[in-house]
Amino acid sequence: MGEEYIVEMRHITKRFPGIVANDDVTIQIRKGEIYALLGENGAGKSTLMSMLFGMYEPDEGEILIRGEKVKIESPNHATRLNIGMVHQHFKLVSNYTVAENIVMGMEPVKKVLGCIPVVDIKKANSDIRALSEKYGLAVNPTDVIENINVSTQQRVEILKMLYREAEILIFDEPTAVLTPQEIDFLLEIIKGLREKGKTIILITHKLEEIKRIADRCAILNRGKLIDVLDVAETSTRVMANLMVGREVSFETEKKPADFGKVVLDVSNLNVFNKQEFQVVKNVSFQVHEGEILAIAGVAGNGQVEIADAIAGLMPVRSGKIVLNGEDITGASIRERTLKGISYIPEDRQNYGVVMDFTLSENLALKNYFKEPFCRKGMLDNRAFEENSRRLIEKYDIRSGQGSGTVVRSMSGGNQQKAIVGREIELASPLMIFVQPTRGLDIGAIENIHRQMIAERDRGRAILLISLELDEIMNCADTIAVIYNGELQKIASAGSLTTNQVGEFMMGVRQKETEKSTAGKSEAGKEAAGKSATGKGTAGKSEAGKEAAGRSVTGKGTAGKSETGKEAAGKKVTGKGAEEKGGGEE
Amino acid sequence: MKNKNKIWNAVKIPLLAILCSLVAAGVIIALTGSNPFRAYYALLQGSGLAPKAAYANYKSMLTDLFSYVNYFTPMIFAALAVAVALRAGLFNIGVSGQMLAAGFTATVLVGYSGLGAVAAKPLVILIGMVVGGLAGALVGFLKYRFNINEVVSTIMLNYIFQYVISFLINTYFVDPVSRQSVEVSAASRLTLMDTQAGNLKIDIPLGILVALAAVVLVWILFDKTKLGYELKAVGFSRSAARYAGIRVGRCMVLSMTISGMLAGLAGVTYYLGYMGSIQPKVLLNTGFDAIAVSLLGSNNPFGIIFSTMLISLISKGSTYMRSTAGVDTEIASVITGIILLFSACSAYIRHRLERRRSEKAQTAKEDR
Repeated sequence: MGEEYIVEMRHITKRFPGIVANDDVTIQIRKGEIYALLGENGAGKSTLMSMLFGMYEPDEGEILIRGEKVKIESPNHATRLNIGMVHQHFKLVSNYTVAENIVMGMEPVKKVLGCIPVVDIKKANSDIRALSEKYGLAVNPTDVIENINVSTQQRVEILKMLYREAEILIFDEPTAVLTPQEIDFLLEIIKGLREKGKTIILITHKLEEIKRIADRCAILNRGKLIDVLDVAETSTRVMANLMVGREVSFETEKKPADFGKVVLDVSNLNVFNKQEFQVVKNVSFQVHEGEILAIAGVAGNGQVEIADAIAGLMPVRSGKIVLNGEDITGASIRERTLKGISYIPEDRQNYGVVMDFTLSENLALKNYFKEPFCRKGMLDNRAFEENSRRLIEKYDIRSGQGSGTVVRSMSGGNQQKAIVGREIELASPLMIFVQPTRGLDIGAIENIHRQMIAERDRGRAILLISLELDEIMNCADTIAVIYNGELQKIASAGSLTTNQVGEFMMGVRQKETEKSTAGKSEAGKEAAGKSATGKGTAGKSEAGKEAAGRSVTGKGTAGKSETGKEAAGKKVTGKGAEEKGGGEE
Repeated sequence: MKNKNKIWNAVKIPLLAILCSLVAAGVIIALTGSNPFRAYYALLQGSGLAPKAAYANYKSMLTDLFSYVNYFTPMIFAALAVAVALRAGLFNIGVSGQMLAAGFTATVLVGYSGLGAVAAKPLVILIGMVVGGLAGALVGFLKYRFNINEVVSTIMLNYIFQYVISFLINTYFVDPVSRQSVEVSAASRLTLMDTQAGNLKIDIPLGILVALAAVVLVWILFDKTKLGYELKAVGFSRSAARYAGIRVGRCMVLSMTISGMLAGLAGVTYYLGYMGSIQPKVLLNTGFDAIAVSLLGSNNPFGIIFSTMLISLISKGSTYMRSTAGVDTEIASVITGIILLFSACSAYIRHRLERRRSEKAQTAKEDR
């Protein structure tokens, strides 16, 4: 062997009821490398890292840290071993400041009157500031968490690890919640951490990120380790095929669209949220049979509210929604479902499924009240079972105990497959897909796209709302771009480039005067979106890093690095977050 | 096979909790200087589940058993009431108040009316359901229309019922000797008191038949009906239920109405069955104990039968336990408390058990 590993996990096996999450997995991680864990949803990446972070104990196998065999009993123990983890869902106290969140549990203490210990917040602030500058993280210690955006919150999480002197940093799907510009910035930070000698483990299913920053990559499939690859020598296609276990195509094949009659006609739609803030402004569009109309936009610009208003979950202030020639503006949710709307909501765990229902109960959530499930108010269990068995088979929904599995115990990807399958099976003339592939892996994404296009070819009208430009460019026949609640542009997909869509998304109205500023952020976007084509990406990220580095040198301009990097996007995101918080009330 | 396993899984934790608490309570009894085995046996004897050494005239083990059934019938209804609301995500703390309202109304309208038994008894049950249902519906409506937390409104309604009704009793219906409400007519009683059977005089509770029917109906409601599916969906996730097109407000009102109806039945089987009169200014503990009984029975209608029988057994047998085993009646409350405490810890116990199982698998592997 000879080689020194900082982390070794040998022959790890972990079982959960009905499922083997990790099956004899061995990984060895060198000090100072970026090691990616790649795999589909439910492949066992997060479980493996949860064991390294002390949240679970492996059923079999051993863990070695710096060559010493250890039994990691708790996250606190992991922290003492210099292991840190940034979770997918941040664990921050939202009304505390950045510094308070970071030092919590190991606050610097000073003695008042020589005996009464109190938290030395001044020292905490200056410590955090110094730490933040050292790693180029650009956070302001005195900001309150609820006032800063998601990407800054993530940097606070990173600082939390660094403050605890973590040497081994685990990132669980760190880019899932970020915009393309923020992703660029984060990846630069991660590279910077490697240069400072940290070891980084990156859990992800996004190939282009791995290609951009990782040194080596372990591929997991259904709990088993498939291969460990040198990223520089492997193409993304090979990685994707290994991960999914079969050939995948990046480009979705589709026939030219064949529009029929108008199915959905939305005119002058105005929607206000609970805070009386206008989130949708005078929006009008039509979706035809056999058409995929995609609404592109940065998160929180009113696109989700449009979907909610059409599905009846949000009241309409004024305007008209017409489905197949029938005015449904005032109809109830149930009436709309019956008249022909399928809806795959953005928030799948709070809306799409009842988490504590079984799979078979959830698969009938939209039609349990109809034959054959229900006769004269009585339910027929066999009909539920049969429906569930058919959908599980058809949509490849994987779960521990089949129809009887409680949905809460299923992986997010399989929950989504269940929702997509259920909604498609309704065979509604109008199908609304909101972020249908968020958090899913390539195999599942490809699958959902194929199903969506198949439905289009069957003559359904499809309204697709997505934050992923790739998805929109790949699937849409018509693209509508929304900014700040207003539709900026509706055009057929062929007539718009990714760049142009991006400009409309930023609210920059495609004018020569603004080209120079907008162009730059677009380049970044392009790089993030279009995977591993290479050259342009590398050049751009270099520039980005420099920008980030520079701004951190001066304290006063610490905030600026963000502004510079994220350009127009920042304003929009901040606002989006605010609206979203309000909407949840 | 699979089904059996499922039942075993649901039952084993409460069983373990009960076993642990009996051991713990046994230690306490031993510390007070009595024999725990004798004390427990006395509990069974007092409830007619084991023969006593001697019986008075017209009494036997059978009379004790019937009086035990008579005693726990209201609790089955009350625990079902709690369970129905809980399944739909609502917390009905007002079972006692709803019991009182239903019991009082039935007492005044039927108990003092002089109607014949054939008309009176069904009418009492009907009035109990209607009044309890209305009281529950009010809470559901306040929640749905004005978003008033059901915990607050039920507690407040408890006070209102308690004091308004005790005012009415003290003003119009008080029995000057017992200082309770005047006893209801035998025709309207849901328990046939002192019925001669052979050489025995037995209290025959008719309410238990209704209670068992209610258990089956509640089970059917939640396991087999569309409404039950909707109520459960609302209980688990209001947002997802709304997304599915379920009318959430209607479900909340309905579940509180059903819960109230069951509480009303608890009221009439208590005040017009077990007791026969109402003590003013006293709110029964039944409605509060029912929360714990329901939890001990895992909110399952059939589980509730057993948890009700267990908890009632302890309080019912406590008098006999004092007289024969010399254990204070207060110890009975201690045992009940310990059982409920342990069953409340059941989530933790389950976690420990699973952890130990995985550790065992680990050591077994290493040994090999």
